[in-house]
Amino acid sequence: MLSRTLAQSSTKPLFLAPRMTQCATLFSFRSPLQPPTERLYEGHVPISPFQRTLLAVGSAFAALHNPHRGDMIAALGESTGGIFLRRIRDQMLKDPEGRRILRERPKITSESMQLDKLRQLPDGIFGREYVRFLDDQQVSPDTREPVHFVDDEELAYVMQRYRETHDFYHTLTGLPVTVDAEIGLKWFEMVQTGLPMTVLSSFFGPLRLSSQERERLFNIYVPWALENGSNAKSLMSVRWEDWMERSVEEVQRELCVKPCPQV
Amino acid sequence: MATHILSSTARSGFGSRLHSVATCRLPLARSQLPHRISAIRVQSTTAQDTTAPEQYDVVIVGGGIAGSALACALASGKASSTQKIGLIEAFDLSSHAKWSPRPDQYSNRVSSLTPKSVAFLKKIGVWAELDPSRVAEMEGMQVWDGVSGARITFDAANATSTRSSFLHQVLSTSGLIGNPAADLEYRDSSFNDGSDIKSSPLAWMTENLHVQYGLQKQILGHQERGVKLDIFERTKVQGITVKQAYPTDADVSAPAGSTAADVSDWPVIELDNGKKLQARLLVGADGVNSPVRSFASIESLGWDYQQFGLVATLKVDHLTSTAPGNGVGIAWQRFLPTGPIALLPLNNGFASLVWSTTPKIAQDLKKLPASDFCVLVNAAFSASPAELEYLYKNIGPDGQPLVDFQQETEWRAGVQDMEAFRTAFGSSRTDAKPPKVIEVQENTRAPFPLRMRNSNSYVEDRVALVGDAAHTVHPLAGQGLNQGLADVECLARVIEQGLLSGSDIGNIHSLTPYSSERFLPNLAMLGTVDKLSKLYNTDLSPIVWARSLGLTAVDSMGPIKTEIMRFAMGLEDAPHSNRS
Repeated sequence: MLSRTLAQSSTKPLFLAPRMTQCATLFSFRSPLQPPTERLYEGHVPISPFQRTLLAVGSAFAALHNPHRGDMIAALGESTGGIFLRRIRDQMLKDPEGRRILRERPKITSESMQLDKLRQLPDGIFGREYVRFLDDQQVSPDTREPVHFVDDEELAYVMQRYRETHDFYHTLTGLPVTVDAEIGLKWFEMVQTGLPMTVLSSFFGPLRLSSQERERLFNIYVPWALENGSNAKSLMSVRWEDWMERSVEEVQRELCVKPCPQV
Repeated sequence: MATHILSSTARSGFGSRLHSVATCRLPLARSQLPHRISAIRVQSTTAQDTTAPEQYDVVIVGGGIAGSALACALASGKASSTQKIGLIEAFDLSSHAKWSPRPDQYSNRVSSLTPKSVAFLKKIGVWAELDPSRVAEMEGMQVWDGVSGARITFDAANATSTRSSFLHQVLSTSGLIGNPAADLEYRDSSFNDGSDIKSSPLAWMTENLHVQYGLQKQILGHQERGVKLDIFERTKVQGITVKQAYPTDADVSAPAGSTAADVSDWPVIELDNGKKLQARLLVGADGVNSPVRSFASIESLGWDYQQFGLVATLKVDHLTSTAPGNGVGIAWQRFLPTGPIALLPLNNGFASLVWSTTPKIAQDLKKLPASDFCVLVNAAFSASPAELEYLYKNIGPDGQPLVDFQQETEWRAGVQDMEAFRTAFGSSRTDAKPPKVIEVQENTRAPFPLRMRNSNSYVEDRVALVGDAAHTVHPLAGQGLNQGLADVECLARVIEQGLLSGSDIGNIHSLTPYSSERFLPNLAMLGTVDKLSKLYNTDLSPIVWARSLGLTAVDSMGPIKTEIMRFAMGLEDAPHSNRS
């Protein structure tokens, strides 16, 4: 409502002729320079379509220039998510487990995951391998960038969840965190989610690889990702928190994911 | 030629609108009934049978709304009322005249009658027989895209804001469709029959049984007046044949000027009670699987939609609607990827549902407990298609819900749902909400298959087809019955004209004006409705985007909207029918 008022106040003086105003309301309900909504959730930064475009292009270049800029990759994902996030949300709504996630909105933090307890589990159990991965990488679930630029509260949660569950994918697939393997995982996610960010990473990521890495990517990771990405259950509808005490093989079998061939 | 009579009837006080394109909610009720004609024999036999058939000028097979309306129209025509008319119906017809519904119950088969259809019903005296408390006026329409939320709204002011619509004026002044002055004069004379078109609702909603009641009352009245109108009810047609060498029946009232009729090519209709009728003109008003059409070897082309329509009578709570006037008199239609769902206004807080969906979902919906069914109907007007898909999946094989529908839908309604394309189409609009459904009347949920058919021709020598026998349409625009009534109006006019000019009304040359006037408008309507149905039967993003842009654009373009409205209300004429 607010934006509507702003839009009208900004367009009316410009287009005094009634027909022009009609056209303006027809094709854009607000000025591209106005943010569409008020602040919808903690950390939300409402931006205008113009800013969104800048952000998407800027973050894409920054991420390509330096793949370690996690914040840029995050911004790229959020600024381009749009209808794809909606599609993931709809997929989750159709799945009982996905619905439960949307309803309860669990957050993955070191506290909620009780990492110390997971460390006690025997080897080969999903929770144990997950913590081992975190420890090896010296990362924690708490270091995830919060969502800023998604203009819908529920979709922001979906984006957040997507980000938070990324580490489980490494445990599930056995993929390391080398750049080529990460791009392989992006291919997997592209097939799974269709998020534009994964598509961009899949196609532009390889530009920075050495020929040896590229060979490995396209000969091993990509064929695996294409096959398993489409076979697997929708991983966004997996309540990982409930799977911690099962063995990695069992989880792989239930979710229909074959481990990636080790290099 | 076809309109020569038109101006004369208008001047001589019949004064009704004799236009052609029209509208209806459901296919004719009759079309759903299986046809009971075991075998159609088309043969030329020599006289083996001993009983000579009784000769009729017009025999109508099928006493549904189209067939009964034709009988009424013929019986009320100046020349045609002198003819001998037969009406054959497999079910009871006379009981319709004793129809006395309870005020708190509505039949599930409801149609929307366009101004054009109502004008015709007025002309043949049927409208006056109806109980006004059971006819609801439809003042507005809200139609929206369930995937994107793009919406178009219509009200009576849209349709009648300009007397002659913009496009019509352009075409008229450019000489494409006749003399504008004559056109306006014609309009004036045709609209001044007591109902001022300016204040006219978009359509009138009433039960098909109610229309049948009015038709029966009129038919009985005509019989008392001495019109030779014979009803053969609870009688099935056994076969239709063309026989040769029957002696001419002297009783046949041949049209003036013609000598004793040669009846050798008149079809003979054998009834299951042993009677035989021989018809100068045989009219098929016998539904989608028309035996008369088979007899005439007229091919009917089309397809079955992979959809069923589910009808039901509902009770709604108007206080829950955010539309002006609490949504009383507003028709609501939402296009879902499985098909459109429509809530049509009846009186006293009742509403009629027509829900087009997949055959499986339609069957499941029928079995669902009443309270869950209401929850699901409400969700179908508000929840996202993904949410609905989840709910459909959770109807158990015994019809019991596997999850708590009430809880699930309440949760989703609570979540702020930024609909797809909201940024582009409609974030700034607070869309009116339909009233909530609170009850479904017992035993009114009924599914039926949806089809599209059009006969290659509506006439053959001695045969004419009207209504569903000639064409069947998807119910999404509520046009089927109105198309049927427009056929009947036209055929009755062509017959009357044929009689006045002394020609043989069964001859294909006399019937051709009917076919040529009705074929294109019907085909245009069928095509439009079919394309709409296909356009909305997907949730593919680029298509959703394009159709939403289109709908939003049309919604803000008054003249085009007016044009669409007039087309749907039967107020726009096919160019050839409004001038001589």
